[in-house]
Amino acid sequence: MVRFLLLFCSVLAALFAIEMLKPVQEAVIQPFTGLLASISTAIIVPFDDAVIAQGRVLRDATSGFAVSIEAGCNGVEAAIVLIAGVVAFPATLKNKLVAIVAGFFFVQALNIVRIISLFYLGQWNYTVFEWFHLYLWPVLIMLDVLIVFAVYLRWLGKAQPAEEAPC
Amino acid sequence: MRRQFVLTLALMPITFGLWYAAGTLFAGPAVWLCDVILSGAYPGVIDDIGLQGLKLVAITQFGDLDGQLMRAQDAGNQIALQINTRLVSYSIAFYAALLLASNLKDGVYKFCVGLAWLWITMAFGLASIIGKDLLMMVGSPFLQAPGVPPADVLALTYQFNVLLMPTLAPVFIWFWQLRGSPLWEALEADIKRASARA
Repeated sequence: MVRFLLLFCSVLAALFAIEMLKPVQEAVIQPFTGLLASISTAIIVPFDDAVIAQGRVLRDATSGFAVSIEAGCNGVEAAIVLIAGVVAFPATLKNKLVAIVAGFFFVQALNIVRIISLFYLGQWNYTVFEWFHLYLWPVLIMLDVLIVFAVYLRWLGKAQPAEEAPC
Repeated sequence: MRRQFVLTLALMPITFGLWYAAGTLFAGPAVWLCDVILSGAYPGVIDDIGLQGLKLVAITQFGDLDGQLMRAQDAGNQIALQINTRLVSYSIAFYAALLLASNLKDGVYKFCVGLAWLWITMAFGLASIIGKDLLMMVGSPFLQAPGVPPADVLALTYQFNVLLMPTLAPVFIWFWQLRGSPLWEALEADIKRASARA
């Protein structure tokens, strides 16, 4: 437990520091955030063709309402928590990689739901938008991370030992 | 574990409603602790910190004269920052939902202990918001003040204490307090099985 916590905190701090580096922001985080806006737009457009993505901004051409996906809104912090947990827990490299890729996908899938919901909540009622944006969605994303990690632990426990056994 | 997550989600409207209704009640101790932290960390930056409604009000030792930011004694006025304490205090509502969903023995005592820890993390969160606001608003005179860390460190602590800790700290505290409970035993069995396969 202590080993897990120490390793978890170390990996968390290291990944956070790396994420904050300017070259990483420019080469990875900002393009990724733009990609999230594009994916969100691609999902919305078949139902609402007034929506356009401009970089990290999702805009409704009719009402003019827009949401900008900023640091802290791109799900990267939540993914870093998950990665730190997976890395700190003893498992084979293959299992860790599977967990990181699948976990990242699940966190970002919920994050896209969050972005789309906020886009429409903001057009409906700004107070409700603020509530969801500032208080409820961060909690739901962290619960998602927790669920993914719990599922990972259960999956590790049930994984067939034959998979790892020498031939 | 499935029951825990479903119950947490079901209880969240109640705990968030209570947290909202409680208003300043949950913010007071964190604001006081924040004052203690900043008095020690930035002795020449913050003059006073108080709570006005739901907002933390920090009176700085910087002022504005004809659009130029400078030391308050030169400007003849003081810049005040207003910070919404709910930006960090929602961690209490999340923690309460996690704890209530687990139905632990000595739940009230555990909640009080957890609350004390959360007040500490909230205080650091509020201090980080003040640091970020001063960096954005005052800039160079703030960075040159004694005890103020470099801009990158301020940005990192803001990310960590404001964007992450309000949701991560409740999970840590709840997880720690789970020990000895039936839920912990089930989780421990999962962890042992998983570790054995590694």
